[in-house]
Amino acid sequence: MEQKNTTFKRYFKLYRLLIGQFLKAIMQSKVDFFMGLFGFFFSQVMGIAFLYLVFQQIPTLDGWTFDQLIFIYGFAQIPRGIDHLLTDNIWMIAWRIVIKGEFDRYMLRPMNLFFQVIAEKLQPDALGELLVGSILIILSISKGIVIIDIWHVVLFLISIIAGALIYTSIKLFFASFAFWIKISGPFLQVAYDMAEFAKYPTEIYTKIIRFLITWVIPFAFVAYLPASYFLKADVSATVIGIECIIAILFWCISYAFFNKGTSIYESSGN
Amino acid sequence: MRRKLKIYLPFTSNELKRQLSYKGAFYLFMLISLFGSFISYYLWMAIYGNSESGVLGGFSKNEMIIYVFMVYVTSSIVTVSIADWISDDVVMGTVSMNLIKPMDYRISLIFRALGSMLYRFLAPGVFIWIGIEVYKVKVLGMDFPNILSILLFILSCIMSFLIYVLFDFCFGMISFFTTHIFGMLLVKEALLSFLTGQLIPISFFPESLQHVFDYLPFSSMVYTPVMIYLGKYTGETLCYMLLRQCIWVIILYLLGSLIWRKVTKRLIVLGG
Amino acid sequence: MIQVSHISKEFISPKKYPGLRGAIKGLFSNEKVKKMAVDDISFHINKGEIVGYIGSNGAGKSTTIKMMTGILTPTNGECIVNGVNPSKYRKENAQNIGVVFGQRTQLWWDLPLSESFSILKEIYNVSDEDYKNRMNFLNEVLDLEEFFHRPVRTLSLGQRMRGDLGAALLHNPKVLYLDEPTIGLDLVVKDKIRKAIKTINDNYETTIILTTHDIDDIEELCSRIIVIDEGKKIYDGSLKELKEKYGSKRKIRMEVKHSKELASFSTAEKLNCSSNDCLTEYDADNHLLTISFDKHKIETPQVISSVMEFTDVFDVQIQETELSEIVKQIYNHEVSEELV
Repeated sequence: MEQKNTTFKRYFKLYRLLIGQFLKAIMQSKVDFFMGLFGFFFSQVMGIAFLYLVFQQIPTLDGWTFDQLIFIYGFAQIPRGIDHLLTDNIWMIAWRIVIKGEFDRYMLRPMNLFFQVIAEKLQPDALGELLVGSILIILSISKGIVIIDIWHVVLFLISIIAGALIYTSIKLFFASFAFWIKISGPFLQVAYDMAEFAKYPTEIYTKIIRFLITWVIPFAFVAYLPASYFLKADVSATVIGIECIIAILFWCISYAFFNKGTSIYESSGN
Repeated sequence: MRRKLKIYLPFTSNELKRQLSYKGAFYLFMLISLFGSFISYYLWMAIYGNSESGVLGGFSKNEMIIYVFMVYVTSSIVTVSIADWISDDVVMGTVSMNLIKPMDYRISLIFRALGSMLYRFLAPGVFIWIGIEVYKVKVLGMDFPNILSILLFILSCIMSFLIYVLFDFCFGMISFFTTHIFGMLLVKEALLSFLTGQLIPISFFPESLQHVFDYLPFSSMVYTPVMIYLGKYTGETLCYMLLRQCIWVIILYLLGSLIWRKVTKRLIVLGG
Repeated sequence: MIQVSHISKEFISPKKYPGLRGAIKGLFSNEKVKKMAVDDISFHINKGEIVGYIGSNGAGKSTTIKMMTGILTPTNGECIVNGVNPSKYRKENAQNIGVVFGQRTQLWWDLPLSESFSILKEIYNVSDEDYKNRMNFLNEVLDLEEFFHRPVRTLSLGQRMRGDLGAALLHNPKVLYLDEPTIGLDLVVKDKIRKAIKTINDNYETTIILTTHDIDDIEELCSRIIVIDEGKKIYDGSLKELKEKYGSKRKIRMEVKHSKELASFSTAEKLNCSSNDCLTEYDADNHLLTISFDKHKIETPQVISSVMEFTDVFDVQIQETELSEIVKQIYNHEVSEELV
C-alpha cells in the first residue's frame, strides 16, 4: 500500500510538472491559443445558429423544444471538452506517433505508457467547447427548464465524468489499431464523428443507427440520454447508472486493447 | 498551352496518386463525410414530420432529401482546401522554392486541387450521385433530370470549384503574415459550411441576411449548382446566377493576383 | 550483463506497387511482404564492456537494439538484460538502461534542457542527493552548463547530443545503448563525446553497446565488435582479430627510377605466384610503382627485393589495410562468406 501511495504521488507530481511546462509553452504563443479557442467556439455557435433557423419553421421536434435541444447540445459539450482537454494526444497515436516510431520514447521510460501519452499534452482548444457548454447550460438553468435538486447535481457531476471516460475509451480503442495498421486516424475519425449523431434526440434516427450509437459506439450515453434525465422528471436515474457501467466496461476493453497493441509495437524501420 | 499543361499536369496526377495511396483512408473518409448528410437527412425528416406545412423554405420534403445529399456531393468535390497546403508550404519554407521555379504558384496549386477534385469526384462523388438518382426515381417517384440541367450543373460546379479555390488562395495568403492559421482555418470551415448552404439552404435565412449574401461569393460555391440541379432556377434567374458565378471567378482571380504580388514583394524583401 | 539467445524479428508489410496504376492496384490488393530484419542472433556481453555493433544500413542493428531495450518484442528467442526480460518487464528494464538515438532526441523539444532534466529526475525517481552528485559528474564530462537553460530546439546538434547523453545517464543506468551517437557531428565534438563515453565507462563500469558508421568511434572506444549483415551475425570478436584476419592485404608504394619496361613489370611473375595474391600497378607520370599483396602468402622483403633487382628504388611506403576498408568490404558483401 505504501508502495502504491508513493507511486501515485510520483505520477501526480510528474503530471503537474509536465502540464506546467506545457502551459508555459502555450502562454508563449497566446495568439495561437486564442485563435484555436475562437475557432472551436465559433464552430459551436454555427451549430446553434443552425438549430435556431430550423426552429423558425417548427414549434417542437419530436416533443423537444428549442431550449431543451440547446441544453442537450450544451450538455454534450462538457464531457467532450473534458476528454478533449486531457487526452488529445491519443489522436497523435493514431496519426503519427506509431508510424513515425515516436512511441519508442515512451517505451524507454519506466512509467505507465498511457500516462505518458496523455501527460504529453493538454489541448487548450477544448476550452472553447467547455465554454460553449457552460454558457448553454447556465442559460438553460436560468430559463428554468433544468431539474435542480441534490440528486441531480451529484448525478450531473458523475455523468460528465463517465461521459468523458466513454469518449477517452472510444478514442483509445480506435487509436490502438495503429499498432497493427500503422495509421488508424481515419478509423478514429469515423468513430469520433459518430458523436455528432448524439447531439440530437436519438428518436429521429432509424433503429440501426439508434442501436449503434447507444450500444456499439455509445455516444448517446454521453449526451442525449443523460441530458434527458436532467430535463424530464419522468426519466429514471438508471440511465446515469448504465452510463457509468458502460464507461467502465468500455475503458477496460480499450485499455486492454491498447496494452495488447504496445506489446506488438513494431517501431519504424530505421 | 500544351507546354503549360505539361508543366502543371503532374501536380494533378501526383495529388491523385498521393490520395490513392491511403487505402484505408479512402473508404473511411467517404463514410465520415456522409455522416453529416445522414444526420441532416434524419433531422430534416423529423422536422418535416413536425411541421404542418409540407413546404419549408421553399423546399418540399423530397426536394430537401435531394438537397441534403447533392450538397454533400457538390461540396465534397468543390471545396478543396488549398489554404492548408499554402500554410504547410509556408511553414516548411518550400514557398520560396516554388518562387524560383519557372511557374505560377497559384496555378500549380489549382492543378493540384484538380487532382483532389477528380479523386473525390470519382471516389465517393459520382457513386453517391448515382445512388441519389436511383433513390429519387425508384423511391420518391420523381423524374430523371434532363441532360441540359446535368450539363448546367456540371458547368456551375466547375465555376464553383474555381471560386472556392481562388477564394481559398486569397485566404491562404494569411499564412504569410501569421503562423496562427490553424484557428482561422477552423473559423473559415465553420463559416463556409454555413454561408455556402451546406448546413441549411440559404432560403431558410432571414430575408435581410439573404440580401447581404447576394453580395458575397459564398452562395456561388455550393448553393448555386445544387439549386440549378434541383431546377429551382430557370430562365432569367438561371442566366443571372451563372453570370454571377462567372463574375466571382474574375473578381477573385484578380484579387488573388493583387495579393500575391504584394506577398511576393514582401517575401523578397524579407528573404522568405 | 546481457544475454541474447537466438532472437529473430520478422516484419510484415503490405506490398507496394509503383506509379499511379500501382496506387490504384494497391487499393484492391492484399499482398504482404515478409522481411527477416534480425535472423537468429545470439551473443553475450559482460559487465563493463564497450561493444561496437556494426553493419550497413538496414542490416538489423537498430532492430536488435530495439529488442534489447524493450521497444520491440522478438518474434523468436529471448534476451535478458541485467536479469530482466525487457519485453516482458518493460518498466523494470527501463529503469536499468539509458538510450541515445543519434537521429532523434529524447528531450522535450520546447523546454530548456534544465527542465527536461528535472522531469527525468521524477520519471526515474532519482533522489535529490543522487541528482546533485550526478549532475556534477555530468557537467564535468559533458559541459552541460553552458547551454543548460536554453530550450532544446535552439541547441546545436553537438550540444543536443551532449544533452541527450546526459539525459540518458541521469539515473545511472547499468547499460547504455548508443545508436549512432556521433552522427552529423564535427570532429571536435565527436572527440568530446567519445571521451565522455570512455570516462563514464571507466568510472561506473557502465556496459555500453554502440552502433555506428564511424570507424573512429569503433577504433577509439570498442574492445569488441559484433558485425551483422542482412539480419545475421557474421563476426563477433576483438577489433585486433578482425584486422588480422581480414586485413590481409598489404600495399607497398615505391618511387623508382623510370624505365620503359616497368609498364609490363609484374611482381607476381617474378615471385612465381598468382596475380590474385599480388597485383602490380605502375604510374609512369609520377614514377610510382604500387604493389598490393596478401601478407600471409608473400613476405614484404621479397617484394621489395624483386623490384630492386629490376630498377633503382628511391623511397618505400608500406600501408596496412585500414579498418574502414574491411568494413567497406563487409558492407559490400565481399567478405561475408569468408567470415561465416
